[in-house]
Amino acid sequence: MGTSITTWEDASAYFTFADSPVMLGLFTIGAAAIVLGLIWSIIKHENKVFDLHK
Amino acid sequence: MADTPTLESLQAAMTAQTKAFEMHQSMNIEVFYWWCTAIMFLIHAGFLAYEMGASRSKNALAAGIKNILALAVIIPTFYLFGWWIYNAFPGGLIPGDAAGALPWSQSMGPDVKDMGTGIFWAAFALFGATTGSILSGAVIERIRVSAFLILTVVLGSGVWILAGAWGWHPDGWLLTKFGYHDVGASGVVHAIAGFFALGVLMNLGARKGKFIDGKPQNIAPHNMPMTLIGLMIIIVGFFGFLGGCIIFNGGDTGWTTIYGTPTNLSAFAFNTLMGFAGGIIGCYIASRDPFWTMSGGLVGIISVAAGLDLYDPGLAFIIATCMGVAAVYFGQWLEKMGIDDAVGAVSVHGFTGVVAVVLVGVFAGGTPNVGDLPPISFTGQLISAVVMVGLGFIPGYGLSLLLKKFNILRVPESSEDIGIDEVELTAKPYPEATVPSQVGNKTEPQGA
Repeated sequence: MGTSITTWEDASAYFTFADSPVMLGLFTIGAAAIVLGLIWSIIKHENKVFDLHK
Repeated sequence: MADTPTLESLQAAMTAQTKAFEMHQSMNIEVFYWWCTAIMFLIHAGFLAYEMGASRSKNALAAGIKNILALAVIIPTFYLFGWWIYNAFPGGLIPGDAAGALPWSQSMGPDVKDMGTGIFWAAFALFGATTGSILSGAVIERIRVSAFLILTVVLGSGVWILAGAWGWHPDGWLLTKFGYHDVGASGVVHAIAGFFALGVLMNLGARKGKFIDGKPQNIAPHNMPMTLIGLMIIIVGFFGFLGGCIIFNGGDTGWTTIYGTPTNLSAFAFNTLMGFAGGIIGCYIASRDPFWTMSGGLVGIISVAAGLDLYDPGLAFIIATCMGVAAVYFGQWLEKMGIDDAVGAVSVHGFTGVVAVVLVGVFAGGTPNVGDLPPISFTGQLISAVVMVGLGFIPGYGLSLLLKKFNILRVPESSEDIGIDEVELTAKPYPEATVPSQVGNKTEPQGA
């Protein structure tokens, strides 16, 4: 489904959606969202547990 | 009777041999950096052990989880923007064209015809993770994990690689204007991380109880042996780190420094080992302290890393010994100034890294660079060292001040008293520590 090549002859970048900048852009946004989401979730968790132990 | 070879058949055989040789040479380059990257993971195993050991037991797991998460956020962020920064900013603060290093580029993924980008990206990502982990030890036992992760991403995927673009990239302005020489990253990694940490420490403040009436108190590590083993593991990882700093060229060029000047692993081996030994001796003489003695191995290597390719091994040994002594005194002076650097990171990495950059100008000034690049000079190294201090310190201080303003830099005092493990992780590092041990038929309390 996501392959960017149909043959190995003269293949170069062959990873999934290598020929689809839109999809690669979406993956980039997804990866960034995971990192930001992790940090945001830790901030929320810390605020909660620090309040509990005041 | 075998066919007599013709000129055409010999040429065809030669062409095939050359293609096979070139392919294997490219594979060898990949293999070399693959294992350098793998060995660099030992730096993080070492940091994990030594930071957990350096913490009190109530904060041991928090120190560890912070270190593990640092790796987990620096690697993807270095993919997202770190590699682009290296390629876009060699000229200063205005980005150049580096579209191929953006994460949606075809270069940033599996490519049959590209046997370099991925493996170099990986090595640089691990350099970044090392930089981020240097901060980690300094701030243990009172920083919020979230704040640390924000800071370590900025340091490990942003600030250090900007320094790398300026001081390591073939077009880096410190190299093209001043002939900057820092082959083992004393400046671009260690000085940057150390002074970034200093900026953070100034806003973070000391651990509760560290200073009483302004006098520094000893907060003992809960597991000194673990810290020593951790530091030794970091030293093993340094061989991957320093291996990653040398360029394995194709063709008949052989090894070069990142600046394109000739060198080899033999040069690195002489001075890495002599530096390691000298640093240990210096720190031991100055402190008689096991933690500082083992840290001396790091001090020694960092103190000669910038000129690893150029020094006489005897000189490297003397430099490292002197820097071992100096690092201990610098650490003590910082403590007197009210800075609580739990593991001596500012001294070991920041102070030593900056002095190491300057020392290249002292002992190797006049050494030529390739092409039209200016030769190494004392002035050039001194200016570059000042740049490294500023580039590390200003973002560390500024960002931590911002986090402090939003009250998300430091854990509350009540949680610091209880311990971050129990409050934030709901875990105990030694849950059976209060259960008496069994000796024969008798039950005796631990430590009896």
